[in-house]
Amino acid sequence: MTSNYYDLDDILADGEKVPSRFNMTVPGLGYLEGNPGKAVQKGTQLELPMWLAEVLAICAILEDSQESFIDLSEPEFISSRVLNAIKTNPRTVDLRKLLRNYYKLVEKWGTFFNEPSLIEIIMTMLKERAFEINNFASNTNKLMNNDFTYTLDEFERILFRMTSDSNKQMRNWLKE
Amino acid sequence: MSLPSHLQNNLTPSEINFMAENELITILPRYSMNKIELIGTKVPALRAMRREEIPLWIAVVLKSQDKCSIVPPSWLNLTYLKEKYDEEIRKPLRFSDLPPNWLEVSKILLAKASDDLADPTHQLRSILQDLREIRLVKSRKGLRELNESNIQLNGLSLLEINELRPFVLTVMNKLRLLHDTIAKKDSGDADNVSDDEY
Repeated sequence: MTSNYYDLDDILADGEKVPSRFNMTVPGLGYLEGNPGKAVQKGTQLELPMWLAEVLAICAILEDSQESFIDLSEPEFISSRVLNAIKTNPRTVDLRKLLRNYYKLVEKWGTFFNEPSLIEIIMTMLKERAFEINNFASNTNKLMNNDFTYTLDEFERILFRMTSDSNKQMRNWLKE
Repeated sequence: MSLPSHLQNNLTPSEINFMAENELITILPRYSMNKIELIGTKVPALRAMRREEIPLWIAVVLKSQDKCSIVPPSWLNLTYLKEKYDEEIRKPLRFSDLPPNWLEVSKILLAKASDDLADPTHQLRSILQDLREIRLVKSRKGLRELNESNIQLNGLSLLEINELRPFVLTVMNKLRLLHDTIAKKDSGDADNVSDDEY
């Protein structure tokens, strides 16, 4: 389950776009904002994929300057609106609609910006939702058209499948 | 590994059942038999009507040929199990100390040697079922308390832990990954704090 070079979910998570702002004018990068051949002006707001933004946000323009190529601004998935929704009731948040690889992205974001309060909220949510997932996975005859199962993100889906497989094996063995 | 992923990290119930078949059990042979040298546990010479301890799987084979009767283990009777059931109810936060392979052994004996058991099979079955369910409910409740560093499962049997394992490990691993993003930036003593917390 750890991040792996060949892990498709990891690759997909890397491709998620995050809002960023250029700190300098870069010639020839205009195609990023649909302006081929032109330069990206300083201060342009652009959505860049995580793997690119990650590098650009860390690298300093000059060796002795503090400024990096781009500044990352707060993406939607950790905006206070979303976090408040999560705090209110973790079970009703539609993670899947928000981001297919929610936890992976939060993980990456956390590694970057070291935000204990954010991680705290997400961990509480994971515990709460995992508990619910376990309930659903053990009661497969419970109504399956419950909305909750459609709001799971990729990681939670895998978790759900593994848990229900394990429970199924056990039930089958007991019936043998 | 070429094993499918669900078999890599976890045992299947039938594998655990197989391991439980190696457990020693007392039998009362009806015939005499020379001893058998096996790679694992050796089977001593059997003399009619003299109690011996042999592995469960041989006992089941002999039983099916009507060559012995099996002496049920001391915990496989209604009074004992009822007591354990009451204990489970009395102590909602603990598991009673049943043998580590109570599910497997009771299942084998109920299926293969039901006539050797002291109590009616259906009553045993229902109390075993009750026990399993109450323990299941307890362990599910306990899953609310998951954290990224440790988990304590006193009194659960191998099979019961095995059932929980895929879920618990995945969630704890994710929690650990999330938690690591904070811990890494802090200095060493931050780790100690988080250890003390739990």
